[in-house]
Amino acid sequence: MSPLLNRPLVRRTAALALLLLLWEGLSRAGIIDPFYAPPPTTVADAFVSLFTDGEIWPHLQATFTAALVGLFAGLAIGIVLGFAAALVPLLAELLEPVMILLNAIPRVILAPLFVIWLGIDLASKVALALILVAVLIFFAVYSGIKEVDQRLVERVRTLGGGRTVLIREVYIPSVTAWVMGNLKVGVGFAFTGAVVGEFVASSRGLGYLLQFAQSTYNAALTIALIVLIMAFVLVLFALSERLERRLLRWRYV
Amino acid sequence: MLRVRNVSLAYDAEPILEGIDLEVETGRFASLVGPSGSGKTSILRAVTELMSPRNGTIERSVPLSQVGFLFQDDALLPWRTARQNVALGLRIRGQSAAEAGACADSWLGLLGLEGFGDRYPRQLSGGQRKRVAIAQVLALEPRLLLMDEPFASLDAIVRMRITQELLDLVERGHITVLLVTHDLEEAIALSDVVYVLSQGPRATVRARHEVPIQRPRNVLETRQDPVFASLLKTLWSELADDAPAREGAPQ
Repeated sequence: MSPLLNRPLVRRTAALALLLLLWEGLSRAGIIDPFYAPPPTTVADAFVSLFTDGEIWPHLQATFTAALVGLFAGLAIGIVLGFAAALVPLLAELLEPVMILLNAIPRVILAPLFVIWLGIDLASKVALALILVAVLIFFAVYSGIKEVDQRLVERVRTLGGGRTVLIREVYIPSVTAWVMGNLKVGVGFAFTGAVVGEFVASSRGLGYLLQFAQSTYNAALTIALIVLIMAFVLVLFALSERLERRLLRWRYV
Repeated sequence: MLRVRNVSLAYDAEPILEGIDLEVETGRFASLVGPSGSGKTSILRAVTELMSPRNGTIERSVPLSQVGFLFQDDALLPWRTARQNVALGLRIRGQSAAEAGACADSWLGLLGLEGFGDRYPRQLSGGQRKRVAIAQVLALEPRLLLMDEPFASLDAIVRMRITQELLDLVERGHITVLLVTHDLEEAIALSDVVYVLSQGPRATVRARHEVPIQRPRNVLETRQDPVFASLLKTLWSELADDAPAREGAPQ
């Protein structure tokens, strides 16, 4: 093997390029039907024209707003409820069954209900993204607190620490670790919520565009949109990872 | 300094210790030896109020804030540096970050960890973590130090070295100590008085021995003392009498 091919990244890129070339060739030769699998160049055209004719921006804005508002609101609600349930037994008693139920079902089935309640605009998408994220984070925080290393709690207590010190020195850092461990999944969930919400009923958004592309059997546009969403989620993953490495520096040193 | 009278301890309904009497005079080093599962740790937990006795009384002549507890494992806060871990107790007492940090650094230096203040626990070896844990406890200048098999997880050489360092610090600071261990040699080498616990459940104190070896001590040399050998033999036979037959005799 040549030295260049010794690198996994080079091999992966080469394999991908080869696959795209093969796809392009087979599609152009008519061996696979371009109607179902348009060649990568056609997809690339569709991708570029989304941006050049500026049609994409309001849709991007809609989906991003829904996903990010849902993500942050879901994080906030999940953290607050998780802490509250861990500290107040009565609340845990009431919340736990609801959360377990919400965790067990595919939460996207709530989408139609949110449309009925909140309309086809942003609010119903935010609500869906929020509930997807909040339940995930609730369990991360709730079990994070319940499973806090009791040895650390005893250490801090024998060093004279009370409740405030315990929360600051033990609980918040351990919960941060749990939440950060779930942040990437949360980002994925937030986009799932936003896009699925748009599928169900909307007048804007990447989900709406996808729905449109599918209803017109526009495979090139459909693939281009899928690639676009993947690209954005990957960027957000990378940002989450940087945040995680920063906040959990002690784990990566 | 510490007087434990007729104390019984239980976890829920499970009795562990019954009718424990022991006394540690100020400035003395006492050990509590006994088989695993005899509930030795529970006594220390009761002294520091992490657990409350079912019966009996525990009297301390110093407030809880002057009691240090060195645990068996070296669970430091993983998200804090060595310096922050050592400074934690001082910060809790209201010292400023700078003051507590400087004090932590000098304790780390005393324990041979100069320049390691910015390391996180996962960047330290087992022995280094143990030293940080010792510094964390001693930085608060406890009058009474409770130790729960603090050296169990260390390899022999590191263990010997850290034991000696800690002994020097304790002797110099005239700290009263109650050490819990299943290592009889360690108990004799370090202590002025050794209490022997019987096999649990319902373990109780079955013997008390003075260790008339003079101080300051060298952990290695102490083992050459004739008192050491004869006391070791006595302790072994007391514990062997008590051990379940299937465990066999010690080497």
